[in-house]
Amino acid sequence: MEKARISSIQLFLLIIGFLYGSTVIINPALSAKNDAWLAILLGGVGGALLIGVYASIALLNPSKTLVEILMDRFGKLIGNAVSILYIWYFIHIASLVFRNFGEFITTMTFPETPMAVVIGIFAVLLVYGINSGIEVMGRTSELFVPFIPVTALIISLSLITTRDFTAFLPMLENGMALVLNAAFSFITFPFGETIAFLMLFPHLNKKENLKKVAALSVLFIVVLCLFIFIRNISVLGSDLMYRAIFTPHLTSLLIPGLNVEPLIDINLLIGGGTKISVCIYAAAKALSQVLGISDYRKLTTAITTFCVVLSIWVYENVLEMFSWAEKVWPYYSIPFQMVIPLILLFLSLKKRAEPSKSRE
Amino acid sequence: MVIILAVFIILALYDLPRFIRKKEPVKVFVVYVFLMAASLAVSLLLAAGKRPASPARWIEWILKMIGVVK
Repeated sequence: MEKARISSIQLFLLIIGFLYGSTVIINPALSAKNDAWLAILLGGVGGALLIGVYASIALLNPSKTLVEILMDRFGKLIGNAVSILYIWYFIHIASLVFRNFGEFITTMTFPETPMAVVIGIFAVLLVYGINSGIEVMGRTSELFVPFIPVTALIISLSLITTRDFTAFLPMLENGMALVLNAAFSFITFPFGETIAFLMLFPHLNKKENLKKVAALSVLFIVVLCLFIFIRNISVLGSDLMYRAIFTPHLTSLLIPGLNVEPLIDINLLIGGGTKISVCIYAAAKALSQVLGISDYRKLTTAITTFCVVLSIWVYENVLEMFSWAEKVWPYYSIPFQMVIPLILLFLSLKKRAEPSKSRE
Repeated sequence: MVIILAVFIILALYDLPRFIRKKEPVKVFVVYVFLMAASLAVSLLLAAGKRPASPARWIEWILKMIGVVK
């Protein structure tokens, strides 16, 4: 296995960048309208439990990646088949984030530039980062991810005079079902997608910090999402926030005499870049382990090219993108994010209990 | 279409000679060629305006068939 190591703080920042990723422009919790704060809190609790499951799997199988754990627990044949499904899943996530990024940039920032060009140039940068290795990805996140909360703070402070805190009311106007649906969507996107980190956890230098790092990053993201939601709803109001396609961008446009619009682009570049890098790294590493190829770097160009093409192919337009993310994604993700990891956790716990039984 | 072909040729010319020089195993070539060929085929179809049904549609269709999504 690659000897590269990342520190707890680097993993913390990588997870934050990953979770923030495209959530900066598409937050599924917002479908609960003015009760989205409740959906964010409930989703955060569910997300913490889910990441706890992934961390437990990693701790029960130290120094093993997801592919190695799958092969250990399911056997070579089923393990390989499930690994290939996960490789597809990671490629799919990366291409969806590419598309989110491309849609945002071509709708808001560079309307005259073809989306393929925007995504392609971004992809070239990311391939360079991924080929540099996990340590470089960790250090890059150390350098850039702290900008995310800072930019959120700058935008919020700039709008401090334009607030209406009654926009939250009335509470639960649309019933609890809508909140629960939004919370479930928020669990699957972005928390459940951290399953990709099972390919990175073996590189953590202090394994004992894993659960603490995971819990802190979830807490941080929940607080950040709540903060951004409160800003957006108090500035835009519930109805406009729900109707807007890219809510934070619209909020940033309302700042009088100051153009902070590029800060949203920067946030998306950092968060989206981290998320895509992690997913492509996970896919390339998983594929190299399934096929017994010594170095994942041989496959990154081909996988990234496929992701770029898939990102253009996957949706016809931005409306399909939002509709699919809201209606199909949560259910499509259940086997990858919940069913298989829970089976893995059960089998890992069973395996750990076996030697002690035999000693008795 | 010419631009797409040019991009793919540049990518292949960058990677394949490296693989040959380092005497990579056949499986590296197979996976590389498979992914690049699939990407090229889809790109050319998209450029020609003949968009094939996307994986998002296939997934939606499967979930609808199972009855998970209405």
